[in-house]
Amino acid sequence: MDEARIPEVELRARLAASSAAIIGCGGLGSNVAAMLLRSGVRALTLIDFDRVDDSNLNRQLFFRDQVGRLKTEALAETLLRIEPEARLTLVTERVTAENIVGFVLGADVIIEAVDGAATKAMIVNVCTGALPETPLVTASGLAGYDSANDIVTERLTDTVYLVGDLHSDACAGLPLLASRVMVAAAHEAHAAIRRLLGLREP
Amino acid sequence: MKVDVALFAYLSDHQPDGLGGRHARAFDLADGTRVADVIADLALPDQPRIVFVNNRHAAEDSALHDGDRLAIFPPIAGG
Repeated sequence: MDEARIPEVELRARLAASSAAIIGCGGLGSNVAAMLLRSGVRALTLIDFDRVDDSNLNRQLFFRDQVGRLKTEALAETLLRIEPEARLTLVTERVTAENIVGFVLGADVIIEAVDGAATKAMIVNVCTGALPETPLVTASGLAGYDSANDIVTERLTDTVYLVGDLHSDACAGLPLLASRVMVAAAHEAHAAIRRLLGLREP
Repeated sequence: MKVDVALFAYLSDHQPDGLGGRHARAFDLADGTRVADVIADLALPDQPRIVFVNNRHAAEDSALHDGDRLAIFPPIAGG
């Protein structure tokens, strides 16, 4: 697909003026946050209630000396080492159908990056119902060791983007391998970046 | 009334024609049929699902209308 070339100065300026709300700071969200920041998005809302655990270190952007700390605070510390100009809003709460809209309101793009299927469904249903004009990226199917090439980005509706292979279920006992989780995280981050730049998936 | 119904991922096995695939099929439904009625008629599993009618989220108790497009997607765990 031919797309008009965007001069890099303009591209970085557009991303610097954009904001993203990332729901979940685990395997997907911690890595999405770093990729968006490195790409130039300066305003990020990081939402997670949990603390860093030993078992997270095999795929999440945390370090051994951060075990036990709140994920939002540990991730913020790392992101500010990458880019001290980052504008981070930390929300250390468990998301519910009642509170989620207040946390993501005003973001230019919403990234669903939680692990449970029920929470994923709640986030997409509630956010697209309350904020139908705000683009949302969600991920389904990134566990296991099938080919990384099976993970794709597609547009479900005008504003909802779906990343994953749509079948590999972590609940079926498949491992969450850093390589495949990072592929899905990169797809999520890139889908958000393309949307922020005004580009469209087919 | 006619409503297009698209079922994604493993839900597509529940399409009445048994052919699978995510493409929408035209359903002939009685006036007043709700999203929840379609879900019950198709015997979709009681698993989390994302429901769109005409590209916007719709509650399962909402009524469908002639020409609507219903899409149901089951999120998969992992993150």
